[in-house]
Amino acid sequence: MLELLPPLNDHNLPWMDTIHPIVVHFVIAMALIGYLFDVIGVVWRKPALFEASFWNLLFATGAIFVAIIFGQVEAGLAAPYGAARKILDIHTTIGWSLAGVLSLLAGWRYVIRSRDPEILPLSFLGAGSVVSALIVVQVILGDTLIWTYGLHTVKVVSAMREGLI
Amino acid sequence: MPLALAYAPSDAPIDQIAKDLGANGLPYSLPIHPNLVHLTIGLFVIAIAFDVVGALYPLEKRVFRFLALPITRGGFHDVGWYNLLACCLITFLTVAAGFYEMLTAVPLPGVKSTFGLGSMTTMLWHGVGGVLLLAVIVGMTVWRGFQRFLWRRDMGRQVQWLYLLVGIVMFALLGLHGTLGAQLAAEFGVHIAADQLLQAGADLHTALP
Repeated sequence: MLELLPPLNDHNLPWMDTIHPIVVHFVIAMALIGYLFDVIGVVWRKPALFEASFWNLLFATGAIFVAIIFGQVEAGLAAPYGAARKILDIHTTIGWSLAGVLSLLAGWRYVIRSRDPEILPLSFLGAGSVVSALIVVQVILGDTLIWTYGLHTVKVVSAMREGLI
Repeated sequence: MPLALAYAPSDAPIDQIAKDLGANGLPYSLPIHPNLVHLTIGLFVIAIAFDVVGALYPLEKRVFRFLALPITRGGFHDVGWYNLLACCLITFLTVAAGFYEMLTAVPLPGVKSTFGLGSMTTMLWHGVGGVLLLAVIVGMTVWRGFQRFLWRRDMGRQVQWLYLLVGIVMFALLGLHGTLGAQLAAEFGVHIAADQLLQAGADLHTALP
């Protein structure tokens, strides 16, 4: 069975480079900027920003599922070591939770927009700030996996294959 | 180039601040530039994508009606404008953080990238390319602003086809540029603590428990 899988390169990946960090551009940027647009839209009373943030939130919600698919495959090939194992577990748990949370938030936003696209209740802003904070935590965990533990970097993969870690 | 070398200082400038830097070669634990890059790339790509959706609106109307999703063409172009404006402002910080982190970069020696380039060549392309991309993003934001507020203010399609074409060409350039950046991390080990510790001969079981 195993020989049917594609061969792994020096990043321990079946493709050129990690795809998960590329897909998460669209979750991180769209969700965070959507929240910022909501805040500015409320403060400056600019409903056009609510429209922009609605679409950004909707896109972030779609993108997180793609990010999870690639994240799971690449996590499975990451060979975490030391504390990175635990960090990867928490990153995975928060990642799946965020998919649910973002879906709920987008659903709520759809209802708000359907009723009156020019008004945004403060409770939605409150929820947005909590979700944004959760995303920041998730980014820090993901950052730690690559920038501290070097998962999927050529140097760490070769050390792993030599049995050094 | 024996003449240039004769004028070169004996120590690398990075040595002047080396004692203040952590294992990742930075005075803080996680690099800032790659995080701002999420915003630059995400905002630019989605800005252009939504302007494309707005431009092709007559083709999509029926699909959205089927989805029971109330839409306006102007709403798509709002995303295109505000995301690009945000991208333009944030990208100044992305480039600034990138230069700080490139000046403190210590790539792993003797590595050739997947593109067959050495670390210095990769950094030069990524650094100069980053400034050029910022210039294009600023230029496109001004261009987009003229289209939105002056030239096409009363038109349904708020953007010129040429603008969308330039945006799509930029996708390719951003992809190439981002790949160079990814190689600096994943292949040259720049600012990656584990890679730098391994290079220094440390045992990761004790150095990164």
